[in-house]
Amino acid sequence: MANLTLKNVYKRYENSKSTKTKNDYAVKDLSFECVDGEFLGILGPSGCGKTTTLRMIAGLEEITQGEIYIDDTRINDLHPKDRHIGLAFEDYALYPPLSVYGNIAFNLRAKKVSEKEIKKEIMRIAPLMKVDDILDSKPAALSGGQKQRVNIARAIVRKPKLLLLDEPLSHLDGKMRQTLRVEIKRLHKEIQCATVIVTHDQLEAMSLADKILIMKDAELQQFGTPLEVYDDPVNEFVAGFIGEPPMNLMTVKITRSEGEFFFEFPGSEVRVSVPKRYYSVIKDGIRVKLGVRPMDVLIGNENSKANSAKIAVFENLGDERRINIRVGNEYLNLITFEEVRYKPGDYIKLEFNAEKTHLFDIGTGNRINAI
Amino acid sequence: MNTKRLAVLAAAGRNLILTIWAIFALFPILWMVLCTFKLDREMYSTTFFFHPTLDNYVNVLVRTNYFKAFFDNIIVSGGAVILSVLVGVPAAYGFARYNFKSKEFWAGQILGFKFAPEILVVLPLFMIYQKLHLIDTYLGLIWVYQLITMPFLIWVVRGYFEDISLEVEQAAQLDGYSWYQVFLKILLPLVKPGLVAAALLTFIFAWNSFMFPLILSGFSVQTVTVSSLKYLASDTVHYGQMAVAATITVLPEVIMALAIQKHLVRGLSFGAVKG
Repeated sequence: MANLTLKNVYKRYENSKSTKTKNDYAVKDLSFECVDGEFLGILGPSGCGKTTTLRMIAGLEEITQGEIYIDDTRINDLHPKDRHIGLAFEDYALYPPLSVYGNIAFNLRAKKVSEKEIKKEIMRIAPLMKVDDILDSKPAALSGGQKQRVNIARAIVRKPKLLLLDEPLSHLDGKMRQTLRVEIKRLHKEIQCATVIVTHDQLEAMSLADKILIMKDAELQQFGTPLEVYDDPVNEFVAGFIGEPPMNLMTVKITRSEGEFFFEFPGSEVRVSVPKRYYSVIKDGIRVKLGVRPMDVLIGNENSKANSAKIAVFENLGDERRINIRVGNEYLNLITFEEVRYKPGDYIKLEFNAEKTHLFDIGTGNRINAI
Repeated sequence: MNTKRLAVLAAAGRNLILTIWAIFALFPILWMVLCTFKLDREMYSTTFFFHPTLDNYVNVLVRTNYFKAFFDNIIVSGGAVILSVLVGVPAAYGFARYNFKSKEFWAGQILGFKFAPEILVVLPLFMIYQKLHLIDTYLGLIWVYQLITMPFLIWVVRGYFEDISLEVEQAAQLDGYSWYQVFLKILLPLVKPGLVAAALLTFIFAWNSFMFPLILSGFSVQTVTVSSLKYLASDTVHYGQMAVAATITVLPEVIMALAIQKHLVRGLSFGAVKG
């Protein structure tokens, strides 16, 4: 039970010939806090530095610069075993010669806990992770899901102050992934331990974490609750990374006519009016990146054929309908729960949910905030 | 029905070819064993029909110091393998885990020792050994046998170490074990099949070695391979006695090969974590 604090942490790989990241920093100026009992998700595409961050917290990588604290203790120079951390490795890393029981007991045996005590602990943990019926098996005989359960059981048996999970679900198939995701959530509720999960799957992060930290190219992009990063992405990257299906991101031109601003789609006649709140921050003729989630693309009244966009694909998925619409040179997705029927080639009038329309700067990718 | 008959035929054909191969491969051993029971004068005149005698056995086992050579061979071959394991396993670990300058070059060099013909290096070694007073000593032979045993052992065991995920070691570190404990409790059991197979095979290599013990040794320390030369007299060759010596010499190898053949194939062809 503890707070985790990172202060301006850098990681740079010296003498690495292959520069994985452009600036050869694996992690750059990262600061965040994870308070006791919180579930924190570190999310980002592969190679963004999220696993490196986790390994620095665990003590498996040296910290180039900056400080990491657990509560008030600076842990930079502490041996991994003295950090009171439980780490579940991505590829399970179970000890092949030992049984499941032996794997879970390994840490307690290092601490010279009595065998009686070890047995008691394992009997407490095993039902929690549903590994009680495979305690005598060797890791080679287990399925991926079972291995991951043992891996997590091994991490929590030592009663860590901080639990670290490195891509715990990435090697599992769809159904097992879902089951285990729910179980990890339940486990967190039960042991109430500050937990950091690293994942590249935004759905995992959104469903598990209380707070999400999004990284790209070694740098922090946004840190907030799942709702914050979903509703108010700070830049184009976060907007496109969070959400499934992803947000529609299109380059549009702003035009003005009769005192009103419109989005003009290149190569098309279609115009959609700009929400009033943006009027003070835009000018006639500039280009911006427009971001609208598929759920916030609306079907307008079909009274006029002008201003209409052509439907490319219509999919009826039962409770929702997905429509792929061609606007000029670009395609955008629309999801609706209304009972509508279209066929490809039909025209549809586009409208956007004004509240949920995002604008991003073309050059920097940063969000343009309405005043 | 037809496919079944085809399968039977295929199996029969396979077994037939294997049987022919086995006869071909084992015939020299049979010939050698037959020779041990023949008198020297029957050696060229007959193959299967002769008057069996144990004279050759009596001559070799009682009248010469064959057993001394046999035990010398065990000491130098066994000693060489033990030294190779003690030095080679850490070396293999180093090659598998650490990145250092020209790593592959050095790994190739070590394997290169195995490629060099023994006759090429034995003369310079002879001169060096003379200066170091290592000629005709156990230590001298054990040392030079490293050329035969170590490269192979390092290469096999290195592959095993490379198969073990680094995360397993890190997990054990997080669990609070020192590196030596991790090595003994986790890594060693994982590389054991490869280590055992490589050690036994290199023992056989060392056991069969001829050139090194011939040149660098031969009086106070004499291996069985070299001592077989004693049966070449100036006027005649005692083939019967030589066959006895050779038969007893291959015995440990045959026994070992039969006992470990399964492990040998497994150990050399499977990785550490698989299987």
